[in-house]
Amino acid sequence: MANYISFTFSMESFFKLLGSMFQGLGTTLSIFFVTAILSLPLGLLLALARISKFKALSIFVGVYIWVLRGTPLLLQLFFVFYGLPYIPYVGVTLDRMTAAYISFVLNYAAYFAEIFRAGIQSIDKGQYEASKALGLTYWQTMRRIILPQTIRRVLPPVSNEIITLVKDTALVYSIGVSELLKVARNAVYRDAVTYPFAIAAVFYLVMTYVLTKLFNWLEKRYSVYE
Amino acid sequence: MSMIVAENIVKRFGNLEVLSGISMTVEKGEVIAIIGPSGSGKSTFLRCLNHLEIIDSGSITIEGRTMVQSDRDGGARYVPDSQIKAICKKIGMVFQNFNLFPHKTALENIIEAPIIVNKMKKQDAIKIAESLLEKVGLSDKKDNYPSQLSGGQKQRVAIARALAMAPDIMLFDEPTSALDPELTGEVLKVIKDLAEEDMTMVIVTHEMGFAKEVADRVIFMDGGRIIEEGSPDEIFVKPKQERTRAFLDKVLS
Repeated sequence: MANYISFTFSMESFFKLLGSMFQGLGTTLSIFFVTAILSLPLGLLLALARISKFKALSIFVGVYIWVLRGTPLLLQLFFVFYGLPYIPYVGVTLDRMTAAYISFVLNYAAYFAEIFRAGIQSIDKGQYEASKALGLTYWQTMRRIILPQTIRRVLPPVSNEIITLVKDTALVYSIGVSELLKVARNAVYRDAVTYPFAIAAVFYLVMTYVLTKLFNWLEKRYSVYE
Repeated sequence: MSMIVAENIVKRFGNLEVLSGISMTVEKGEVIAIIGPSGSGKSTFLRCLNHLEIIDSGSITIEGRTMVQSDRDGGARYVPDSQIKAICKKIGMVFQNFNLFPHKTALENIIEAPIIVNKMKKQDAIKIAESLLEKVGLSDKKDNYPSQLSGGQKQRVAIARALAMAPDIMLFDEPTSALDPELTGEVLKVIKDLAEEDMTMVIVTHEMGFAKEVADRVIFMDGGRIIEEGSPDEIFVKPKQERTRAFLDKVLS
Protein backbone atom coordinates (compact mmCIF):
# COMPACT_ATOMS: atom_id res chain seq x y z
CA MET A 1 0.00 0.00 0.00
CA ALA A 2 2.71 2.47 0.97
CA ASN A 3 4.54 1.64 -2.21
CA TYR A 4 1.48 2.36 -4.24
CA ILE A 5 0.97 5.76 -2.66
CA SER A 6 4.53 6.86 -3.35
CA PHE A 7 3.92 6.31 -7.03
CA THR A 8 0.78 8.36 -7.26
CA PHE A 9 0.99 11.75 -8.74
CA SER A 10 -0.08 14.50 -6.44
CA MET A 11 -0.86 17.88 -7.94
CA GLU A 12 0.04 19.50 -4.66
CA SER A 13 3.53 18.06 -4.47
CA PHE A 14 4.03 18.81 -8.15
CA PHE A 15 3.39 22.51 -7.63
CA LYS A 16 5.57 22.47 -4.55
CA LEU A 17 8.35 20.96 -6.61
CA LEU A 18 7.80 23.46 -9.40
CA GLY A 19 8.07 26.26 -6.86
CA SER A 20 11.41 25.05 -5.56
CA MET A 21 12.63 24.49 -9.11
CA PHE A 22 11.84 28.10 -9.94
CA GLN A 23 13.89 29.03 -6.90
CA GLY A 24 16.73 26.94 -8.25
CA LEU A 25 16.24 28.58 -11.61
CA GLY A 26 16.65 31.97 -9.93
CA THR A 27 20.04 30.90 -8.57
CA THR A 28 21.04 29.51 -11.97
CA LEU A 29 20.02 32.76 -13.65
CA SER A 30 21.89 34.92 -11.18
CA ILE A 31 25.08 32.96 -11.82
CA PHE A 32 24.44 33.21 -15.53
CA PHE A 33 23.79 36.96 -15.58
CA VAL A 34 26.56 37.93 -13.18
CA THR A 35 29.04 35.86 -15.21
CA ALA A 36 27.88 37.13 -18.59
CA ILE A 37 27.72 40.78 -17.54
CA LEU A 38 31.11 40.83 -15.82
CA SER A 39 33.15 38.41 -17.92
CA LEU A 40 32.40 40.03 -21.30
CA PRO A 41 33.95 43.43 -20.46
CA LEU A 42 36.71 41.75 -18.45
CA GLY A 43 37.43 39.52 -21.45
CA LEU A 44 37.66 42.58 -23.68
CA LEU A 45 40.15 44.23 -21.33
CA LEU A 46 42.20 41.02 -21.22
CA ALA A 47 42.17 40.84 -25.04
CA LEU A 48 43.44 44.41 -25.31
CA ALA A 49 46.14 43.62 -22.74
CA ARG A 50 47.04 40.46 -24.63
CA ILE A 51 47.68 42.38 -27.86
CA SER A 52 49.31 45.36 -26.14
CA LYS A 53 52.88 46.33 -26.89
CA PHE A 54 53.81 46.01 -23.22
CA LYS A 55 55.40 42.59 -23.37
CA ALA A 56 55.19 41.90 -19.63
CA LEU A 57 51.45 42.60 -19.58
CA SER A 58 50.85 40.54 -22.70
CA ILE A 59 52.79 37.57 -21.35
CA PHE A 60 51.06 37.80 -17.96
CA VAL A 61 47.65 37.72 -19.60
CA GLY A 62 48.81 34.90 -21.88
CA VAL A 63 49.69 32.79 -18.84
CA TYR A 64 46.39 33.73 -17.16
CA ILE A 65 44.44 32.57 -20.21
CA TRP A 66 46.48 29.39 -20.46
CA VAL A 67 45.85 28.45 -16.82
CA LEU A 68 42.15 29.33 -16.81
CA ARG A 69 41.41 27.57 -20.09
CA GLY A 70 43.82 24.75 -19.37
CA THR A 71 42.30 23.49 -16.12
CA PRO A 72 38.78 22.26 -15.43
CA LEU A 73 36.26 24.87 -14.36
CA LEU A 74 35.26 22.38 -11.68
CA LEU A 75 38.81 22.43 -10.31
CA GLN A 76 38.77 26.23 -10.28
CA LEU A 77 35.46 26.18 -8.46
CA PHE A 78 36.83 23.76 -5.85
CA PHE A 79 40.02 25.77 -5.55
CA VAL A 80 38.20 29.02 -4.84
CA PHE A 81 35.64 27.54 -2.46
CA TYR A 82 37.48 24.69 -0.71
CA GLY A 83 41.11 25.55 -1.40
CA LEU A 84 41.45 29.28 -0.71
CA PRO A 85 40.76 29.06 3.06
CA TYR A 86 43.87 26.90 3.56
CA ILE A 87 46.33 29.28 1.95
CA PRO A 88 48.53 30.56 4.79
CA TYR A 89 48.10 34.23 5.81
CA VAL A 90 46.03 35.31 2.81
CA GLY A 91 43.48 32.51 2.87
CA VAL A 92 39.87 33.66 2.75
CA THR A 93 36.66 31.79 3.23
CA LEU A 94 34.04 32.79 0.72
CA ASP A 95 30.38 31.99 0.80
CA ARG A 96 29.22 29.58 -1.89
CA MET A 97 27.67 32.10 -4.24
CA THR A 98 30.64 34.47 -4.11
CA ALA A 99 32.99 31.57 -4.83
CA ALA A 100 30.80 30.59 -7.77
CA TYR A 101 30.68 34.14 -9.17
CA ILE A 102 34.45 34.58 -8.89
CA SER A 103 35.37 31.27 -10.51
CA PHE A 104 32.88 31.67 -13.33
CA VAL A 105 33.74 35.27 -14.15
CA LEU A 106 37.50 34.61 -14.15
CA ASN A 107 37.10 31.44 -16.24
CA TYR A 108 34.72 32.86 -18.82
CA ALA A 109 36.72 36.07 -19.15
CA ALA A 110 39.66 33.94 -20.32
CA TYR A 111 37.57 32.36 -23.08
CA PHE A 112 36.07 35.68 -24.12
CA ALA A 113 39.55 37.24 -24.15
CA GLU A 114 40.69 34.76 -26.78
CA ILE A 115 37.54 35.27 -28.85
CA PHE A 116 37.96 39.06 -28.74
CA ARG A 117 41.68 38.87 -29.47
CA ALA A 118 41.08 36.75 -32.56
CA GLY A 119 38.25 39.06 -33.62
CA ILE A 120 40.32 42.21 -33.23
CA GLN A 121 43.24 40.69 -35.09
CA SER A 122 40.99 39.58 -37.95
CA ILE A 123 40.26 43.20 -38.87
CA ASP A 124 42.20 44.29 -41.95
CA LYS A 125 45.27 46.37 -41.13
CA GLY A 126 44.17 48.86 -43.77
CA GLN A 127 41.55 49.98 -41.23
CA TYR A 128 44.31 51.00 -38.81
CA GLU A 129 46.25 52.72 -41.59
CA ALA A 130 43.25 54.68 -42.81
CA SER A 131 42.48 55.71 -39.23
CA LYS A 132 46.06 56.77 -38.62
CA ALA A 133 46.20 58.69 -41.89
CA LEU A 134 43.07 60.57 -40.77
CA GLY A 135 44.70 61.45 -37.45
CA LEU A 136 42.78 59.14 -35.10
CA THR A 137 44.68 57.98 -32.02
CA TYR A 138 45.08 54.28 -31.19
CA TRP A 139 42.21 54.36 -28.68
CA GLN A 140 39.95 56.35 -30.98
CA THR A 141 40.68 53.80 -33.70
CA MET A 142 39.90 50.92 -31.35
CA ARG A 143 36.70 52.41 -30.01
CA ARG A 144 35.26 53.89 -33.19
CA ILE A 145 36.63 51.69 -35.98
CA ILE A 146 38.01 48.33 -34.86
CA LEU A 147 35.76 47.21 -31.99
CA PRO A 148 32.43 47.94 -33.72
CA GLN A 149 33.55 45.71 -36.58
CA THR A 150 34.90 43.13 -34.13
CA ILE A 151 31.52 42.80 -32.39
CA ARG A 152 29.91 41.57 -35.58
CA ARG A 153 32.61 38.97 -36.12
CA VAL A 154 32.70 37.62 -32.58
CA LEU A 155 28.94 37.28 -32.15
CA PRO A 156 28.80 33.62 -33.31
CA PRO A 157 31.60 32.36 -31.01
CA VAL A 158 30.35 34.53 -28.13
CA SER A 159 26.90 33.06 -28.61
CA ASN A 160 28.45 29.59 -28.38
CA GLU A 161 30.15 30.42 -25.10
CA ILE A 162 27.04 32.02 -23.64
CA ILE A 163 25.02 28.89 -24.38
CA THR A 164 27.73 26.74 -22.82
CA LEU A 165 27.58 29.03 -19.79
CA VAL A 166 23.88 28.30 -19.30
CA LYS A 167 24.72 24.63 -18.90
CA ASP A 168 27.98 25.15 -16.98
CA THR A 169 26.02 26.86 -14.20
CA ALA A 170 25.03 23.33 -13.15
CA LEU A 171 28.62 22.84 -11.97
CA VAL A 172 28.03 25.00 -8.89
CA TYR A 173 25.94 22.09 -7.64
CA SER A 174 29.31 20.59 -6.68
CA ILE A 175 29.97 23.24 -4.02
CA GLY A 176 26.51 22.84 -2.59
CA VAL A 177 24.65 25.68 -4.26
CA SER A 178 20.96 24.90 -4.72
CA GLU A 179 20.66 25.70 -8.39
CA LEU A 180 18.26 24.14 -10.85
CA LEU A 181 19.94 20.75 -11.27
CA LYS A 182 20.48 20.22 -7.54
CA VAL A 183 16.83 20.96 -6.79
CA ALA A 184 15.81 18.50 -9.51
CA ARG A 185 18.12 15.78 -8.26
CA ASN A 186 16.97 16.18 -4.67
CA ALA A 187 13.39 15.80 -5.83
CA VAL A 188 14.23 12.70 -7.81
CA TYR A 189 15.92 11.12 -4.76
CA ARG A 190 13.21 12.16 -2.35
CA ASP A 191 10.17 11.19 -4.40
CA ALA A 192 11.69 8.38 -6.48
CA VAL A 193 10.42 9.89 -9.70
CA THR A 194 12.11 10.88 -12.95
CA TYR A 195 10.18 13.87 -14.18
CA PRO A 196 12.07 16.58 -12.18
CA PHE A 197 15.00 15.93 -14.52
CA ALA A 198 12.69 16.44 -17.49
CA ILE A 199 11.45 19.70 -16.03
CA ALA A 200 15.04 20.85 -15.48
CA ALA A 201 15.85 19.94 -19.08
CA VAL A 202 12.90 22.00 -20.30
CA PHE A 203 14.11 24.98 -18.23
CA TYR A 204 17.60 24.75 -19.78
CA LEU A 205 16.15 24.37 -23.26
CA VAL A 206 13.95 27.44 -22.83
CA MET A 207 16.95 29.47 -21.67
CA THR A 208 19.13 28.39 -24.56
CA TYR A 209 16.28 28.93 -27.01
CA VAL A 210 15.78 32.51 -25.87
CA LEU A 211 19.53 33.15 -26.09
CA THR A 212 19.78 31.61 -29.56
CA LYS A 213 17.00 33.91 -30.76
CA LEU A 214 18.63 36.89 -29.09
CA PHE A 215 21.96 36.24 -30.79
CA ASN A 216 20.34 35.65 -34.17
CA TRP A 217 18.67 39.01 -33.80
CA LEU A 218 21.95 40.68 -32.80
CA GLU A 219 23.74 39.13 -35.75
CA LYS A 220 21.12 40.48 -38.11
CA ARG A 221 21.27 43.89 -36.52
CA TYR A 222 25.04 44.08 -36.86
CA SER A 223 24.99 42.78 -40.42
CA VAL A 224 23.23 45.76 -41.95
CA TYR A 225 26.46 47.00 -43.50
CA GLU A 226 27.53 43.73 -45.05
CA MET B 1 58.68 76.98 -48.68
CA SER B 2 58.58 73.49 -50.13
CA MET B 3 55.63 71.31 -49.20
CA ILE B 4 57.69 68.15 -48.95
CA VAL B 5 61.43 67.77 -48.64
CA ALA B 6 62.61 64.19 -48.37
CA GLU B 7 66.33 63.53 -48.28
CA ASN B 8 68.23 60.29 -48.55
CA ILE B 9 65.42 58.09 -47.32
CA VAL B 10 66.63 54.59 -46.49
CA LYS B 11 64.14 51.95 -45.47
CA ARG B 12 64.78 48.30 -44.73
CA PHE B 13 62.43 45.41 -44.10
CA GLY B 14 64.70 43.09 -42.17
CA ASN B 15 67.75 42.60 -44.34
CA LEU B 16 66.03 43.82 -47.47
CA GLU B 17 66.73 47.43 -48.33
CA VAL B 18 63.61 48.66 -50.12
CA LEU B 19 64.56 52.33 -50.32
CA SER B 20 68.21 53.16 -50.95
CA GLY B 21 68.51 56.89 -50.56
CA ILE B 22 65.46 58.56 -52.06
CA SER B 23 65.36 62.35 -52.24
CA MET B 24 62.44 64.39 -53.48
CA THR B 25 61.20 67.94 -53.14
CA VAL B 26 57.62 68.92 -53.86
CA GLU B 27 56.55 72.54 -54.23
CA LYS B 28 53.13 73.98 -53.49
CA GLY B 29 50.56 73.03 -56.11
CA GLU B 30 52.84 70.53 -57.79
CA VAL B 31 51.53 67.17 -58.95
CA ILE B 32 54.13 64.42 -58.85
CA ALA B 33 53.55 61.02 -60.42
CA ILE B 34 55.75 58.18 -59.25
CA ILE B 35 55.96 55.28 -61.68
CA GLY B 36 58.00 52.11 -61.74
CA PRO B 37 57.76 48.34 -61.66
CA SER B 38 56.17 46.41 -58.78
CA GLY B 39 58.51 46.15 -55.82
CA SER B 40 60.44 49.25 -56.80
CA GLY B 41 59.59 50.86 -53.45
CA LYS B 42 57.24 53.57 -54.70
CA SER B 43 54.37 52.74 -52.34
CA THR B 44 56.76 52.29 -49.42
CA PHE B 45 58.27 55.71 -50.12
CA LEU B 46 54.81 57.29 -50.19
CA ARG B 47 53.92 55.60 -46.91
CA CYS B 48 57.08 56.96 -45.28
CA LEU B 49 55.91 60.50 -46.01
CA ASN B 50 52.93 60.24 -43.63
CA HIS B 51 54.53 58.01 -41.04
CA LEU B 52 52.81 54.76 -42.02
CA GLU B 53 56.33 53.39 -42.38
CA ILE B 54 59.28 54.26 -40.15
CA ILE B 55 62.42 55.13 -42.06
CA ASP B 56 65.87 53.86 -41.08
CA SER B 57 67.74 56.97 -42.09
CA GLY B 58 67.23 60.24 -43.91
CA SER B 59 65.05 63.25 -43.24
CA ILE B 60 61.51 64.34 -44.03
CA THR B 61 60.27 67.90 -43.71
CA ILE B 62 56.64 68.78 -44.38
CA GLU B 63 55.77 72.46 -44.90
CA GLY B 64 58.94 73.53 -43.13
CA ARG B 65 58.36 71.28 -40.13
CA THR B 66 60.85 68.47 -39.71
CA MET B 67 59.31 65.13 -38.86
CA VAL B 68 62.46 63.05 -38.91
CA GLN B 69 66.14 63.66 -39.51
CA SER B 70 69.33 61.65 -39.43
CA ASP B 71 71.31 61.78 -36.24
CA ARG B 72 75.11 61.61 -36.03
CA ASP B 73 75.39 57.86 -36.42
CA GLY B 74 73.14 57.88 -39.45
CA GLY B 75 69.97 56.59 -37.78
CA ALA B 76 66.65 58.33 -38.16
CA ARG B 77 65.47 60.44 -35.26
CA TYR B 78 61.78 61.28 -35.18
CA VAL B 79 60.29 64.26 -33.35
CA PRO B 80 57.84 63.37 -30.53
CA ASP B 81 54.60 61.63 -31.50
CA SER B 82 52.41 64.65 -30.80
CA GLN B 83 54.41 66.70 -33.31
CA ILE B 84 54.36 63.91 -35.89
CA LYS B 85 50.60 63.82 -35.52
CA ALA B 86 50.31 67.57 -36.05
CA ILE B 87 52.56 67.42 -39.12
CA CYS B 88 50.74 64.45 -40.67
CA LYS B 89 47.37 66.09 -40.12
CA LYS B 90 48.18 68.22 -43.14
CA ILE B 91 48.58 65.12 -45.30
CA GLY B 92 45.65 63.20 -46.72
CA MET B 93 46.05 59.71 -48.07
CA VAL B 94 44.10 57.55 -50.49
CA PHE B 95 44.80 53.81 -50.58
CA GLN B 96 44.74 51.21 -53.28
CA ASN B 97 42.12 49.18 -51.38
CA PHE B 98 40.10 52.25 -50.32
CA ASN B 99 40.11 51.20 -46.65
CA LEU B 100 36.70 52.72 -46.08
CA PHE B 101 35.12 51.92 -42.73
CA PRO B 102 32.63 49.19 -43.68
CA HIS B 103 30.36 49.77 -40.69
CA LYS B 104 29.82 53.41 -41.55
CA THR B 105 27.86 54.97 -44.41
CA ALA B 106 29.59 57.12 -47.02
CA LEU B 107 28.63 60.24 -45.07
CA GLU B 108 29.69 58.74 -41.73
CA ASN B 109 33.04 57.77 -43.21
CA ILE B 110 33.65 61.37 -44.16
CA ILE B 111 32.49 63.09 -40.95
CA GLU B 112 34.32 60.67 -38.62
CA ALA B 113 37.74 62.33 -38.53
CA PRO B 114 36.53 65.96 -38.57
CA ILE B 115 34.33 65.22 -35.55
CA ILE B 116 36.66 62.93 -33.62
CA VAL B 117 40.03 64.46 -34.47
CA ASN B 118 39.17 68.11 -35.13
CA LYS B 119 36.28 68.25 -32.62
CA MET B 120 34.10 69.80 -35.29
CA LYS B 121 30.37 70.13 -34.60
CA LYS B 122 28.43 67.34 -36.24
CA GLN B 123 26.19 69.58 -38.34
CA ASP B 124 29.23 71.51 -39.63
CA ALA B 125 30.98 68.25 -40.52
CA ILE B 126 27.87 67.03 -42.33
CA LYS B 127 27.72 70.25 -44.36
CA ILE B 128 31.34 69.81 -45.44
CA ALA B 129 30.82 66.11 -46.15
CA GLU B 130 27.77 66.82 -48.30
CA SER B 131 29.61 69.39 -50.38
CA LEU B 132 32.54 66.98 -50.80
CA LEU B 133 30.19 64.19 -51.88
CA GLU B 134 28.72 66.56 -54.41
CA LYS B 135 32.20 67.39 -55.62
CA VAL B 136 33.00 63.71 -56.22
CA GLY B 137 29.56 63.16 -57.74
CA LEU B 138 28.08 60.94 -55.05
CA SER B 139 25.45 63.06 -53.32
CA ASP B 140 22.86 60.34 -53.87
CA LYS B 141 25.05 57.71 -52.16
CA LYS B 142 25.60 59.42 -48.83
CA ASP B 143 23.56 56.92 -46.84
CA ASN B 144 24.96 53.85 -48.57
CA TYR B 145 27.39 51.54 -46.87
CA PRO B 146 30.67 50.81 -48.69
CA SER B 147 29.44 47.30 -49.50
CA GLN B 148 26.69 48.88 -51.57
CA LEU B 149 29.11 50.95 -53.66
CA SER B 150 31.17 50.08 -56.73
CA GLY B 151 34.95 50.24 -56.53
CA GLY B 152 35.06 53.59 -58.26
CA GLN B 153 32.42 54.99 -55.93
CA LYS B 154 34.28 53.67 -52.91
CA GLN B 155 37.48 55.34 -54.01
CA ARG B 156 35.69 58.63 -54.59
CA VAL B 157 34.24 58.44 -51.06
CA ALA B 158 37.76 57.70 -49.80
CA ILE B 159 39.05 60.81 -51.56
CA ALA B 160 36.23 62.89 -50.05
CA ARG B 161 37.04 61.42 -46.65
CA ALA B 162 40.68 62.51 -46.95
CA LEU B 163 39.69 65.97 -48.21
CA ALA B 164 37.35 66.49 -45.24
CA MET B 165 40.42 67.03 -43.07
CA ALA B 166 41.39 69.94 -45.31
CA PRO B 167 44.85 68.61 -46.12
CA ASP B 168 47.54 70.68 -47.82
CA ILE B 169 49.02 67.59 -49.45
CA MET B 170 47.31 64.52 -50.88
CA LEU B 171 49.07 61.18 -51.30
CA PHE B 172 47.57 58.61 -53.65
CA ASP B 173 48.81 55.05 -53.43
CA GLU B 174 47.82 53.37 -56.69
CA PRO B 175 44.29 54.78 -56.46
CA THR B 176 42.96 52.90 -59.49
CA SER B 177 44.88 49.61 -59.29
CA ALA B 178 42.05 47.73 -57.58
CA LEU B 179 39.40 49.01 -60.00
CA ASP B 180 37.82 47.51 -63.06
CA PRO B 181 39.17 49.32 -66.11
CA GLU B 182 35.85 50.96 -66.89
CA LEU B 183 35.75 52.50 -63.39
CA THR B 184 39.19 54.13 -63.36
CA GLY B 185 38.03 57.14 -65.36
CA GLU B 186 35.65 58.47 -62.71
CA VAL B 187 38.38 58.34 -60.06
CA LEU B 188 41.02 59.88 -62.31
CA LYS B 189 38.63 62.71 -63.14
CA VAL B 190 38.26 63.58 -59.46
CA ILE B 191 42.05 63.63 -59.07
CA LYS B 192 42.35 65.78 -62.17
CA ASP B 193 39.84 68.25 -60.71
CA LEU B 194 42.00 68.45 -57.60
CA ALA B 195 45.05 69.16 -59.73
CA GLU B 196 43.20 72.04 -61.32
CA GLU B 197 42.52 73.44 -57.86
CA ASP B 198 46.29 73.42 -57.27
CA MET B 199 46.22 70.70 -54.63
CA THR B 200 49.74 69.46 -53.93
CA MET B 201 49.72 65.78 -54.79
CA VAL B 202 52.03 62.78 -54.96
CA ILE B 203 50.50 59.95 -56.94
CA VAL B 204 51.90 56.46 -57.23
CA THR B 205 50.30 55.06 -60.34
CA HIS B 206 50.38 52.51 -63.11
CA GLU B 207 48.21 54.71 -65.32
CA MET B 208 50.83 56.10 -67.68
CA GLY B 209 48.35 58.10 -69.76
CA PHE B 210 47.04 59.73 -66.61
CA ALA B 211 50.53 60.46 -65.28
CA LYS B 212 51.42 62.09 -68.57
CA GLU B 213 48.32 64.22 -68.58
CA VAL B 214 48.09 65.37 -64.98
CA ALA B 215 51.62 65.37 -63.56
CA ASP B 216 53.94 68.35 -63.48
CA ARG B 217 56.82 66.03 -62.81
CA VAL B 218 57.26 62.30 -63.20
CA ILE B 219 59.60 60.21 -61.06
CA PHE B 220 60.68 56.78 -62.25
CA MET B 221 61.76 54.42 -59.49
CA ASP B 222 63.36 51.02 -59.70
CA GLY B 223 65.11 48.87 -57.08
CA GLY B 224 64.56 51.39 -54.29
CA ARG B 225 66.19 54.27 -56.17
CA ILE B 226 65.04 57.16 -58.29
CA ILE B 227 66.36 56.34 -61.74
CA GLU B 228 65.13 59.39 -63.54
CA GLU B 229 62.83 62.33 -63.03
CA GLY B 230 61.58 65.12 -65.20
CA SER B 231 58.59 66.58 -66.98
CA PRO B 232 56.13 64.07 -68.46
CA ASP B 233 57.64 64.85 -71.85
CA GLU B 234 61.17 64.15 -70.68
CA ILE B 235 60.20 60.83 -69.15
CA PHE B 236 57.65 59.51 -71.59
CA VAL B 237 58.93 60.93 -74.88
CA LYS B 238 62.68 61.09 -74.51
CA PRO B 239 63.81 59.14 -71.46
CA LYS B 240 67.56 59.29 -70.89
CA GLN B 241 67.99 56.09 -68.89
CA GLU B 242 67.95 52.66 -70.44
CA ARG B 243 65.96 51.26 -67.52
CA THR B 244 63.25 53.89 -67.92
CA ARG B 245 63.01 53.11 -71.60
CA ALA B 246 62.81 49.37 -70.96
CA PHE B 247 60.05 49.86 -68.37
CA LEU B 248 58.03 52.17 -70.59
CA ASP B 249 58.39 49.83 -73.55
CA LYS B 250 56.93 47.07 -71.44
CA VAL B 251 53.98 48.98 -70.00
CA LEU B 252 53.10 51.06 -73.04
CA SER B 253 53.26 48.29 -75.60
